[in-house]
Amino acid sequence: MKIVCGERAREVRLERDTAVLDGERLAYRIVEDGAAGERLEVGDRRHRIRVARRRDRVFVWCEGEVYEFAPARAAERPPGDRGDLLAPMPGRIRAVYVSENGAVRRGDVLLILEAMKMEHAIRAPRDGTVRHLPHREGDLVETGTPLVELA
Amino acid sequence: MIRTVLIANRGEIAVRVARTAREMGIEAVAVYSEADAGAFHVGQMPRGMNLGPGSPKETYLSIPRLVEAAQRAGADAVHPGYGFLSENAAFARAVEAAGLVWVGPPAAAIEEMGDKIRSRTRMREAGVPVVPGSDPGAHTDEELSLEALRIGFPLLVKAAAGGGGKGMSRVDRAEDLPAALAEARRLAESAFGDSTVYLEKLLDRARHVEFQIFGDRAGHLMHLFERECSVQRRHQKIVEETPSPGLDQPLRSRMAEAAVEAGRAVGYVGAGTVELLLDEKRNFYFLEMNTRLQVEHPVTEATLGIDLVRAQIDVAGGGRLPDGWARLMPRGHAIELRLYAEDPVAMLPRAGEVLEYVEPSGPGVRVDSGIARGSHVGLEFDPLLAKLVVLGPDRKAAIERARRALEDWVVLGVETNRPMLSAVLRSEPFAAGRYATDLVSQLPPPVPAEPPAAAWIAAALAMAPRAGGAPGATRSDGQGGPADPWTDAMRWRVSG
Repeated sequence: MKIVCGERAREVRLERDTAVLDGERLAYRIVEDGAAGERLEVGDRRHRIRVARRRDRVFVWCEGEVYEFAPARAAERPPGDRGDLLAPMPGRIRAVYVSENGAVRRGDVLLILEAMKMEHAIRAPRDGTVRHLPHREGDLVETGTPLVELA
Repeated sequence: MIRTVLIANRGEIAVRVARTAREMGIEAVAVYSEADAGAFHVGQMPRGMNLGPGSPKETYLSIPRLVEAAQRAGADAVHPGYGFLSENAAFARAVEAAGLVWVGPPAAAIEEMGDKIRSRTRMREAGVPVVPGSDPGAHTDEELSLEALRIGFPLLVKAAAGGGGKGMSRVDRAEDLPAALAEARRLAESAFGDSTVYLEKLLDRARHVEFQIFGDRAGHLMHLFERECSVQRRHQKIVEETPSPGLDQPLRSRMAEAAVEAGRAVGYVGAGTVELLLDEKRNFYFLEMNTRLQVEHPVTEATLGIDLVRAQIDVAGGGRLPDGWARLMPRGHAIELRLYAEDPVAMLPRAGEVLEYVEPSGPGVRVDSGIARGSHVGLEFDPLLAKLVVLGPDRKAAIERARRALEDWVVLGVETNRPMLSAVLRSEPFAAGRYATDLVSQLPPPVPAEPPAAAWIAAALAMAPRAGGAPGATRSDGQGGPADPWTDAMRWRVSG
């Protein structure tokens, strides 16, 4: 299967006791350590590993670093379209300073997003007109939710 | 005699205070908002009081609800932790009016230090140097603009009611000042209910060094050495250490003296912290005083071998400062790392469920945590998840221990600032002890590490089509022997 981690992608095939990573054959073995969790032997090295999954995302802690993996298909995001300004973090819309069809100038604060006592100003990246404003003050939004569509 | 203490807080600090209470034979009572009923801190105490539904403002920040909860619980004392209402004089008064012991300084001292403009004036009168700033009488845009020219740029616009890095913004040019003032007033009004702002000179490349002070009602007031808090992002600390690598003994003594003087000026009782800025020419200035327990108090506890919360409770109950404190000398070097739920690059808050959580351990390692596996990290609260505090025989060993313990800390499911903490520990200026408040902004953004082959294999095992059974699931269809990778994958413990 093809797996991605950030910008990186690799083809991983699992056989009985061998993993094939982009064609490279590596012997592996899972060793249970009781309460201490699991270790994964690759070649002659043992790695301390912890794994968790949320839907199709797999989180791996390995020797002090955390990696997030996804199957290649799920990782593809729809291409960013038109002039949408997306929420950089999940939070609540605290204030909206523009209205639909209103003209904005580059650098204008369009709205304020608040999360965990922190305010984040969403500014116009260029001059334009607000075509669509899907949310109102008080709405909760997820990361990546379109906040303002600029024409 | 305090028998039952209500801990008017949540997260790691509520858990930390409860631990000491239990050691003292005092029953700790948790509080929680309805949405927080399953939170980690609630499960750590034998009893918990439901503050009802609603936002933090209607629950953890509601004086009537908290006082009522304390009375309903039969508590005889209230510990406010830090944040929330810990520096709210009205809360301190309401607690005492209800006949309960307030584990904190006198309400008057909270008030005196809470208004940053007033406290600056008070400190100047007491002979403690303050950061150059605007005249206390300057309020309008016009007055403040004139003051800005006198002080010089860059400068900070600060909220009079602010503190703890909240409610301040940097201004580099005179033409940006009016907009910055308007924005700062709006933020201050919404965050603190008081739109008063003032200006302070921005001391570039300054160090942020604070002194722990402690007083009792018999009039004893002492310092408990310093904490170096210059590693900050967005004016909030992420790494603290003690002793400060920036002080020598004469400077330490002078700063400590000023800190005690600051406390004496407001009749301080209990645990407090005097924050000072130290510039490159080794001039120091009063910044603000925090009239509560600090987030980073454990580094002081580590090098001095004391428990500040125990002393807070003793002193609140009328006790004196512990006898042994007069001879306290720091031993070794302590470092605290704050683990935040945030995007490691953009440093924006992150929410989600903690799918896997394992704390580091070993000699000289302490973790104060507000989360566990299964905890939900929401956006309505401060994103601080937990703190790692290490003690080593010297600074180099402490840094090495911090790096090792940080590596051993497993948090999966919620992004954290761990890459940033790791970058700080590995940076040359930090290793050399020659850094100031601009350290984090000088570091290159953390680059995601290249996953080792083992991580790719682990991910593939977790994604394998037949690996989705419940943990511990065994196959009963007789297919596949112990060497079958799919069977192994099923045994492979996958959280979430």
